Amino acid sequence: MNARITQATLLDGSNPHHGKQVDIRIEKGIITEIASTLEAKKNEDLINFENLSVSPGWFDSSVSIGEPGYEERETIKNGLLVAAKSGFTGIALNPNCYPVPDTSSSIAFLQNKAANNAVQLYPIGALTQKSEGVDLAELYDMQQAGAIAFGDYQHAIKNPNLLKIALQYTQGFNGLVLSFPQEDDLIIKGMANEGETAIKLGLKGMPALAEHLQIARDLYILEYTGGKLHIPTISTAQSVALIKDAKAKGLDVTCSVAITNLFFTDAALEDFDTRYKVTPPLRNEADREALVAGIKDGTIDMVTSDHNPLDIEQKKLEFDHAKFGTIAQEATLGALLTLVSEKKAVQLLTAGRKRFTQTTSKIEVGQPANLSLFTTKGSNTFTKEMILSKSKNAAFLGAKLKGKVYGIIANKQFIAS
Amino acid sequence: MSELSVNHLLGIKYITKADIDLIFETADHFKEIINRPIKKVPSLRDITIANLFFENSTRTKLSFELAEKRLSADVINFSAGASSVKKGETLIDTVNNILSMKVDMVVMRHPNPGAGVFLSKNIKASIVNAGDGAHEHPTQALLDSYSISKKLGDVGGKKVVIVGDILHSRVALSNIFALKLLGAEVKVCGPKTLMPKYIESLGVEVELNLRKALEWCDVANMLRVQNERMDISYFPSTREYTQQYGLNKELLDSLDKEIVVMHPGPINRGVEITSDVADSGQSIILNQVENGVAIRMAVIYLLASKIKQQ
Repeated sequence: MNARITQATLLDGSNPHHGKQVDIRIEKGIITEIASTLEAKKNEDLINFENLSVSPGWFDSSVSIGEPGYEERETIKNGLLVAAKSGFTGIALNPNCYPVPDTSSSIAFLQNKAANNAVQLYPIGALTQKSEGVDLAELYDMQQAGAIAFGDYQHAIKNPNLLKIALQYTQGFNGLVLSFPQEDDLIIKGMANEGETAIKLGLKGMPALAEHLQIARDLYILEYTGGKLHIPTISTAQSVALIKDAKAKGLDVTCSVAITNLFFTDAALEDFDTRYKVTPPLRNEADREALVAGIKDGTIDMVTSDHNPLDIEQKKLEFDHAKFGTIAQEATLGALLTLVSEKKAVQLLTAGRKRFTQTTSKIEVGQPANLSLFTTKGSNTFTKEMILSKSKNAAFLGAKLKGKVYGIIANKQFIAS
Repeated sequence: MSELSVNHLLGIKYITKADIDLIFETADHFKEIINRPIKKVPSLRDITIANLFFENSTRTKLSFELAEKRLSADVINFSAGASSVKKGETLIDTVNNILSMKVDMVVMRHPNPGAGVFLSKNIKASIVNAGDGAHEHPTQALLDSYSISKKLGDVGGKKVVIVGDILHSRVALSNIFALKLLGAEVKVCGPKTLMPKYIESLGVEVELNLRKALEWCDVANMLRVQNERMDISYFPSTREYTQQYGLNKELLDSLDKEIVVMHPGPINRGVEITSDVADSGQSIILNQVENGVAIRMAVIYLLASKIKQQ
């Protein structure tokens, strides 16, 4: 693929061109020239959009698709197209399919299904066999097949000894362990954040304590074992404080926050609207503000869509029966730009790549073009027509967002939104 | 003639004080009628009502059915046990099937909070919530406040304590909303394990000591311990619950005033309330049941008149 991007503002805090308007030439998928203006060449596509910004390709650290097993929710083919059109060039795929990917062959299946796509799919392998939380899966073997991290999707590692062993064992091959922050015994059949809204609605509460307790325990274990721990999708003020302390101690821990938890509070549930039924639950305004402060001060390393497509049969139900989860990838940039600067937004959307894949994508001559194209200008309301996913369970419908994604360039392909 | 501000009765939190006043006024009228030799009026001859009970109920179902029949509505009954719900049909499909038989109003009890709200957004019929999980039971709260007003006059300024399992109780929640709307002071009393952690956010006070609560109040509404809603044990034994939160005659007589005792039923005699208290002159439990029919007639009548306008 040959292309010339013109008049793009380069956004990447670590790049000497940061904040400057540049032209970028790409030949056979490799960046060959970056300059304030470039002459046209034969046989190259011109890529030019209004108020165009370009940054290293974004990485989404928590994405669910469905295939294999739940193709009615989303297929890998369309799921990757959704990611591309939402500006992501790489996604970490949650082991949220059936059967659970807990062997090298199931990881290879996912890799093969996604081969030659513009968006790189990085599978997360199940930490335990069938994600049952009992025995470790073959982590090393899965890593050899392409798994980039290990965790049981939205299930905490209940047994402390199992987490201890996982963190010790993975050190032999530099594996990243994911521990979902929720002590299930404090949740029971909880449906919404424990607080005024849940009381008024008669919904069983999910106490913030359940998250703190799990995180505090996991950090104690990490301090003992060493190893690499990632805590996906934290949701409370106290969780931010716990992780801040752990980082100050020098522990190798990172965490993410879901864009939905940064943007909404449990007040959105007032009408029993199942679009807002998510895990971790939407918390109160003080928690939301602490999360925003956490992404600003670097305690929270990355923002994820925590994209979770669910077909209408799983959502158009009584609140107790509806599944937890929302799609959010299409709205991630737009929502994030309402909260932080464009420079910070890019940092939060790209930070996951290094942690999960141990690679970086740089906008430099000689590097493969792995770019997200977007504008940070203008505002819009998220409508049904903007949903790209097969499933339509979108918490962001009706939300006021900023900016717009134009597409990506990755793996020698240009995908326009 | 005034009308309700809503087309459904989904919960007390969705209605206004004016709505409650109107329901009480209308109930006065019906209360007089059901004490006549001919207890029936022809008001709703053109209305068909489906009573959909996805959860067991005896008194609420009977009370609604009686209210509907005394208004001359056509009534069909449905209970989940004998239905296609067990075959995997969704709630919307079940109800829409019933509605295609030209039903105007649905009275629904359901184990899931918000089931009535959910239905109101997806089907075309007036809905009366007869209890949805731990969310609301609005007609119970209306009849409770109505019964207080019949016994003590204006509910405004009265001190009411709700005793028992506040955590799992739709009756408690609807009562809190109704009593606050009518200007009463409300305390909740029971073991801390059965109190939602942030219950004070509803403007009520928590009192863990039953005697202190009773000394404070004008009215004590004793709730049933809902073992069927508990996933785990919130107190060691029923015996120990009764020791701390059971209302007996000795305790009642030791108070320096005569309080009014209420219970939404069904009573676990000897657990939350002893027989001699339940049957005492201070108890208005049976008045509550009688008022229940009048209140439900009023609610159905007022909602039906909104259907007729459409």
